[in-house]
Order: sequence, then structure tokens, then C-alpha cells
Amino acid sequence: MRRAMMVAAVLLVCGGVVLSAAVKKYGKPLTLKETTKISAIFAQPDSFNGKRVKVQGPIVDVCEMKGCWIAIASDKEFQSIRFKVDDGVIVFPMTAKGLTAKVEGVVTVSTLSEEEQIAQGKEMEKEMKKPFDPKTVKGPKTVIMIKGEAAEIE
Amino acid sequence: MNWRRLNNVLHRDIGYLAVGLSIVYGVSGLAVNHKADWNPSYRVGKTIRQIEPMRATDREGMVREALGKLGIDQAPRNAFRPNPDTLQLFYREATYSIDLPSGAVVIEQARPRPVLFEVNQLHLNTPKRIWTLVADVYAIGLVVLAITGMFVLKGRTGITGRGAWLTAAGVLMPAVYWVFYLYGP
Repeated sequence: MRRAMMVAAVLLVCGGVVLSAAVKKYGKPLTLKETTKISAIFAQPDSFNGKRVKVQGPIVDVCEMKGCWIAIASDKEFQSIRFKVDDGVIVFPMTAKGLTAKVEGVVTVSTLSEEEQIAQGKEMEKEMKKPFDPKTVKGPKTVIMIKGEAAEIE
Repeated sequence: MNWRRLNNVLHRDIGYLAVGLSIVYGVSGLAVNHKADWNPSYRVGKTIRQIEPMRATDREGMVREALGKLGIDQAPRNAFRPNPDTLQLFYREATYSIDLPSGAVVIEQARPRPVLFEVNQLHLNTPKRIWTLVADVYAIGLVVLAITGMFVLKGRTGITGRGAWLTAAGVLMPAVYWVFYLYGP
């Protein structure tokens, strides 16, 4: 009896590892059927502010320290949008760069003052170990991102 | 079977079961505790290369040209232009950022650290799903281990003797630290 219980426990642990290894879905399941173009969000950010959207595109950056955000390239050049999750809800792997992500969340549009941009830049400099020059900050900046909890990477 | 025998059997067998996960969580705990100083899951590196400057044309043409100049046969997973002067090529463990006007190439590599990557993924419950259940069962197991551990021995070294002082010290340590953290200098 005791031997059977031990075998069952070992199988449970090993089964968990094997099942987890195949997962490419992160967080909650995607629910929206319609995909919104990222360029459409950039074209009319205020009309998307607070709205739930699903977007799709190649991953072009990943949070190095916590894996708590990815940047997704737009369908238009020179545009990318950040998909942010609460710390620990999803941990995106750094090796996901270049893969295609489908993500779902709420669009948030905010305006950062110069002081806020400098504080954020210094934080990013520390986190990403990329140099930041406060002189590059010129005036308030509109920041568009998607805050969510559901993603699929393929 | 009297209660102490049952207690000791539980402590022993749950202890055996918890060995693997205790090592996983212990090793990963040490690693992520110092993540301000290093990346515990990835070996991150940066190298610089120089190629001939490139003209901005269509993206596919630029990717072909860049691969030729870099001497890379493998096609990237994807390419992106964050701004008019930069072309990025993405591979599983490397990102090439090419400054088109100067030809300077920054190659950022992020390779998962052997063993540490896997144990950190489990510790941080990246897989979610069934691993959440496994981690919950393990956490409950730790509580049972702590409680049964107090009653393994009886007498002078048991919970009525030296064990009482050591247990009290172990309980007081986080409590005292928390008070110090809240009200200390």
C-alpha cells in the first residue's frame, strides 16, 4: 500500500513536469474572436482606451528581469505595443523573441510627464541594462499599452 | 499504532517525498533572491560587430543583405524595424540590432542557464495549471513536516526541552525582523 502511494506521488510530480513542458498558452484563455490591428490602436488611441482587444504580431522585446511584458510589432513599420501583465501572473521567456504572440487585454492610454519619463527611463536602464539619456526626453509623451492576462505564443 | 509512531512515519515519508522539491525551491530561492545583481534564469551577453553600412530598402531585401554581410545561413524567426535606421533580426537565443547608416551590429544573446532555468520556472510557477496543484500539495507538506517535526523526539531534546527554545527562536526571528522593518531606522 505504502509503495503504491509513493509511486503515485512520483508519477504525479513527473506528470506535472511533462504536461507543463508542452504548454504554449500563458495565463487565462483568449476569449475574443476578432483581432484588432495594432496600427488601428495607434491611429485612434482614445477610442480604444479602456476597451478589451485581442492583437497579434511578432514579439520584438521581452522583459529581461521578470518576463512581465512583451513588445509586439505592429502591422505597420516602426510601431510596437507593449503587453503588460501583473508580476508573476505570466512569465514570458526571453527566448520568445521573434515568435508570434496573440494576446488579449485592455488598452490603456496615459500621458507621462517629463519627470515620469525620466524616472521610468532610469528604472528601465537598471532593468534592461541599456543606457538612458534624460536629455532625450522632450515634453509629455502618450503611452499606449495593453494590460492583460491571456496570451498564446507560437 | 500510537500517535507518536504515526507522527514519525508521516514526518519521515513526507520528508522523503519533499526532498526533490525542497532542493528545487532551495536552489531557485537562492538564485532569484539575488536577481537584482544577476539574471538567474538566462546567461545574457552582448557583442558588437561591424558590417558595411546598409541602405534602407524593403524589409525582405534588407534581411537578405544583412544575412549575407553577417555570414549567417539560417533565416531569422522574424525581422523588425523599430525605427528607420535600425533592422532587428530575431533568433531563438540571439537578437541582431543593425544600425543601417553605420553598419554597427549589437548582438544580444540570452541563453537559458542549465538546470537553474528549469528550477526557476518551477519555483516561479511559470507552467501554472497542474504545477499549481503540485506546489500547493508541497506547501501543505511543508506545514505538516514542520508540525510533525516538533514531535519526533521526546524528552530533553524534544519539544518540551531544547526543542521549545529552538522553535521559539525560529518563530520570533521573522516576527522581530518584521517589527524592526516597520519601525526600525
